[in-house]
Amino acid sequence: MSTSVLVPEASAPARAEGGGGRRVIIRTVGLKKIYVKKGVRTEALCGLDVEVYSGEFISVMGPSGSGKSTFFNMIGALDSPTVGRVFIDEVDVAQLTAEELAYLRCQKIGYIFQSYNLIQYMTALENVTTPMAFGGVPPDEARRRGMDILGIVGLADRWFHRPIEMSGGQQQRVAIARSLANEPAILLCDEPTANLDIDTGQEILDILRRLNIEKHVTVICATHDHRMMNICDRLMWIRDGQIERVARRDEVKVRVGRIGGQTSGAAGAGERKA
Amino acid sequence: MLGRVDVKAIVIGEQPRLGFLRTLRITVDGIRYRLFRALVTVAVIAVAVAFLMNILSEGIIKRAVAANTRERIALNREVHRWSARLTTPTDRDTLLALLATAEDGDPLLEDARQFGGLTPGELAALRTAAAEARVYGETIERMNYAYRRRILRGATGAAAFDTLASPDGWSVFIDGVREITGVRLPFPASDLEAFAATWPAVREKLVRIRAGQADAIATLRAMRRERPIMEALADADGAFGEAIRAAGFHLDASQAPHLAAQAQREIDLRFVERSIDLRTPRQTVARAYDILPGDVTLPRLWRYLADRTNAARYLDALAEEDARPDHFSVARLQELSAFRREAALLERAERRTADMGEGWMGLGARMGWLLLVSMLVCGIGIANAMLMAVTERFREIATLKCLGSLDGFILLMFVMESCILGLIGGLAGGLIGALIGTGRMLVAFGAVAVPALSLGALTQGFLASLIVGIILAALAAVYPSFRAARLAPMEAMRVE
Ligand SMILES: Nc1ncnc2c1ncn2[C@@H]1O[C@H](COP(=O)(O)OP(=O)(O)OP(=O)(O)O)[C@@H](O)[C@H]1O
Ligand SMILES: [Mg+2]
Repeated sequence: MSTSVLVPEASAPARAEGGGGRRVIIRTVGLKKIYVKKGVRTEALCGLDVEVYSGEFISVMGPSGSGKSTFFNMIGALDSPTVGRVFIDEVDVAQLTAEELAYLRCQKIGYIFQSYNLIQYMTALENVTTPMAFGGVPPDEARRRGMDILGIVGLADRWFHRPIEMSGGQQQRVAIARSLANEPAILLCDEPTANLDIDTGQEILDILRRLNIEKHVTVICATHDHRMMNICDRLMWIRDGQIERVARRDEVKVRVGRIGGQTSGAAGAGERKA
Repeated sequence: MLGRVDVKAIVIGEQPRLGFLRTLRITVDGIRYRLFRALVTVAVIAVAVAFLMNILSEGIIKRAVAANTRERIALNREVHRWSARLTTPTDRDTLLALLATAEDGDPLLEDARQFGGLTPGELAALRTAAAEARVYGETIERMNYAYRRRILRGATGAAAFDTLASPDGWSVFIDGVREITGVRLPFPASDLEAFAATWPAVREKLVRIRAGQADAIATLRAMRRERPIMEALADADGAFGEAIRAAGFHLDASQAPHLAAQAQREIDLRFVERSIDLRTPRQTVARAYDILPGDVTLPRLWRYLADRTNAARYLDALAEEDARPDHFSVARLQELSAFRREAALLERAERRTADMGEGWMGLGARMGWLLLVSMLVCGIGIANAMLMAVTERFREIATLKCLGSLDGFILLMFVMESCILGLIGGLAGGLIGALIGTGRMLVAFGAVAVPALSLGALTQGFLASLIVGIILAALAAVYPSFRAARLAPMEAMRVE
């Protein structure tokens, strides 16, 4: 397990704590995931030690195939790691029963999947209200809240459409609305703006930012969108299943131009766009 | 930054269960969305259940037909039984069987008692002995013929007991039984030995009964002189009936008219069947079918007589030959024809149901085997359909799990879905199977099958196959959905 890449992070926790004694809400220890397919081993994650603070907005960046989605599945308690542990609010996920896991997934974590994963036979509204139903919200209130959330993502007038009747971007917005259904404490977003135009993407970013600031939702967001740099607290780069670099936003700005290579280039590009 | 102190804490609580009705709604929505796929699954279930129901309904109907025909044929042959009784004494084996199986109060028992001049006590003892003889007789009957030849001189029934009771008959028998490994007695040999010792006394009583019968028969024969027995029986509700009773046979007064009518019908049937040898009637029929007179067969004749005008023409032909009996009319001819054709149907039904056995629902060994195979086919078909239906939805299961559904919800959802599909498929299949089965039986047995159709038995079979369909569908859905529900969501998503 190589921890050397974590060096830049050394100063980050200290600074964050200055913000007022925040808790570590997600912590991974030696997280490894190895896929074995037809005898071929793919090491998607090779030993990740990450700490995410409560109320934080983290951007996860990395080239395609670097293991971002795999990482999300692990910290979202959606998949079991090959080696290593995931603690959510200091609780070892591996120790939870099936019911507790269901509760965690339903009430405490919101997921926006890269491939949306909407239920095909449900309307937009039903997709949004299903997690509420699982959470025990009465149908009428679920519908009312579902319509509110669809309004937030700008789909209030399309609530009766099924996923196949909607564009990619609209489906993505339904997926976002669904992730907000039970007012989660943690929001895991796998490229939430990938299929959206600039304006809508910006709106979504604003929503995420607002949730983060007003409701103190911890947002972890995989993205190639460099506007994200303007709103996140910290950035994390993953490459080949390893943490390449973790840095606070202001650090990235400071370091632009000082560090060569792709990372700074990407950051620089983000700067220009913003 | 300072506002972030009251961060959302994660407290893990209890996940509520989704209500039955809401689960049902989600399930039905899912089925409606995949209507075509669901219909294919329903079709598979329907075919499987139809197959099962078809076999069941055919078995049920066939069984009822068998019972019905046997009863009706026995009824039609009542007069033949009487003519046999009134012309020859009952042979010993038949007499033994009667004594062993007849229920208390059977008039035949009382007849036998009187013919043999036995006291009621003697009759009771004789019946016990007959029942015993039946058990031994069955064992002897089932023996390999070669063995039986060696140890019993090939005899069965009463003759076998004669052999056993003869000097050194028993020792030959018991030595043989000990020597031949293929022969095993299901009862103690000493029992049979004891019975063989009492056999001469039993035989003597049987002989007495037969002698009494022979006397009565002789009286009756003298009384009817040269008249054939059938003609005499046509008078069963008249003087000859009195004579029968006087001779000691038990003939119910209420039964006599039926017997007389049956005898008359037999005589008339014979008459018509012989009349076809006369020239004019034969030519009449040949002309109607446009065939050579030599090709006129009895079935053709009876079919010809079913028609009114044909019957009238035939009567004329008979009159032309001066052979028309006074009581013959068009209606009578038609009646005879109808009876003859129905009798043919009954005989055919009897032949075709000859293989009906006992066992569950009267299916017999062969039908039971067929049913087992059909259940297997049914089960595999349904399991395959449901497995496919569940497997292709692993992604949906995974998503639902990501959204926080309990494993039980997913299981319930799939069990519900399969029950709904099983119910629809089962209803449709049961109906189709019952219709096909009934139709086939109607074709096979004709009008004879109609009185055998019992809605109650068919409903039972229908329910049985419906339940089999639903249970198989539910079982087939439980396993894969249980497996999928227990996987971590993303593991389920990766299953292909
Ligand atoms: N089910 C699987 N079986 C085998 N290998 C897998 C599986 N899922 C992912 N991988 C591999 O794991 C690595 C990481 O995949 P992952 O989906 O996490 O990448 P990513 O960073 O999300 O990429 P992208 O930005 O394109 O979404 C890839 O090399 C991929 O091929
Ligand atoms: Mg990905």
